[in-house]
Amino acid sequence: MNGNHHKNNYTFDLKGLLKKVFFVDLIQGLFITFHYTFSKTITMKYPDEETWIPYRRFRGLHTLNRNKEGKELCVGCELCQKSCPTQCITVVPMQDTTGKGIADRVAYRWEINLLRCMFCGLCEDACPTDALKLGRAYELAGGSMQRHLLTKEELLAPQAIPVEFEGGVIVKARLEADETGVKIVPDISVQKRWW
Amino acid sequence: MIELLLIGIKVVVVTLIVFALPLPLTYIERKVAGHIQVRLGPYRVGPHGILQPFADMVKLMFKEDIIPAKADPWLFRIAPVIAMVPAFAVFATIPFGEKVTLPFVNYEVNLYISDMDTGILYVLAIAGLSVYGIILGGWASNSKYPLLGGLRSSAQMISYELALSFACIGVVMIVNSLSLVDIVKAQSGWHWNILYQPVGFVIFFIAGLAEINRIPFDLPEDEGTLGAGYHAEYSSMRFAFFMLTEYVAMVSMSILIVLLFLGGWDGPAFLPGIVWFLLKVAMLIYFIIWTRFTYPRYRYDQLMSIGWKILLPLSLANILITGLIII
Repeated sequence: MNGNHHKNNYTFDLKGLLKKVFFVDLIQGLFITFHYTFSKTITMKYPDEETWIPYRRFRGLHTLNRNKEGKELCVGCELCQKSCPTQCITVVPMQDTTGKGIADRVAYRWEINLLRCMFCGLCEDACPTDALKLGRAYELAGGSMQRHLLTKEELLAPQAIPVEFEGGVIVKARLEADETGVKIVPDISVQKRWW
Repeated sequence: MIELLLIGIKVVVVTLIVFALPLPLTYIERKVAGHIQVRLGPYRVGPHGILQPFADMVKLMFKEDIIPAKADPWLFRIAPVIAMVPAFAVFATIPFGEKVTLPFVNYEVNLYISDMDTGILYVLAIAGLSVYGIILGGWASNSKYPLLGGLRSSAQMISYELALSFACIGVVMIVNSLSLVDIVKAQSGWHWNILYQPVGFVIFFIAGLAEINRIPFDLPEDEGTLGAGYHAEYSSMRFAFFMLTEYVAMVSMSILIVLLFLGGWDGPAFLPGIVWFLLKVAMLIYFIIWTRFTYPRYRYDQLMSIGWKILLPLSLANILITGLIII
């Protein structure tokens, strides 16, 4: 009976005994879980019904911007290529084949290998004309490697979430599947905050 | 002749219903678990995941039936059946209601397969047999976690079967009959036994939870420390049999509590008796599921000390006091 010496300073605890006899703590616990049963769940119905729109600061798939007149902002300066730590960006400026000189310097090729990209955002910081921006598309899984080598034309296409949209909300979404892969189409008009 | 045919039909109907019951119960259990944990629960298969149990059933059927190399093959195969048969056999004496007149044919039918004079004894005895399947399953697997689960189950059964039976004795003393139908009839008109035997009810409920291996007494299949306990080595349909047994045991224990303490099919007259009966059973099943996701599991020594040091003396005192009051 070595373990029983601490029972010498035992005092009779009537309240504690009654609490045990009438299962007070257990019933309190039951009320807590009952409350949670009918509280709002925090699970998102992703991807069938809902999807998360990140904030503007999010660094997702690259996008190349145009100005208001619809002209590409990229001037082919190759700074993004030089700043890229993983060397996944290839920029080739337009060559003067006319002999008379080109008025505007633009990129001839602007390619990115997303398989190597680590989405650090240094290219975005290096860009002098705000042409390059890391957008908010993050569902980048695909069936082939080829899908991850994106060209200028694909990056110039506007992304599903406009720049003006602040983000940080759950929106209604739709899952679209075809032979090229699956795509989640967000509908930013229907929003909900999850907290 | 027609009586015999009727009994055959009843047996088939009850067996089919009991066989099908675990399907909705697994779904309800997972849904309740999800919402208690602020999740959604099953959601992908069918609207609100309603077809999930069928998907699970199909998956279980097509899984490989693995028998471990060092297991005792004969015992390993027969253990799930030993566990399952008593769980179903219990329903032979369980009454679901009094006589009803069938529409169209105008024939009176008893809503029970048989009304044994020793119904409650039969139920307790047969329900206790289920534990052999668990012990043998754990033993035959020849693996340490199932073995520990099986041993725990045997110790748990010894500690709780006594309190469970003693808690019934108070009811039997009041009613003066062992027949389940008589016990329910004696409670009609709001003379529910829970009002006369509150201590007996609490003891029966706690011991019943231990009997059907539900949290807070699910030590034989303790996920936290034993993997899956006695059925850790089982897969495919043999595993499904164990799961089936567990859910059927939960249903039969809820039914037993309703019959003994909650007045059976007794209730206000605006609904037929069978509806009251099913409502009460459903409430109890929900309560058992609800407690599963509220309480942690008792430690092994705590379980034993609750059984021997608290429930058993309490149930004996309950019998003594009931006897004194009756005299």
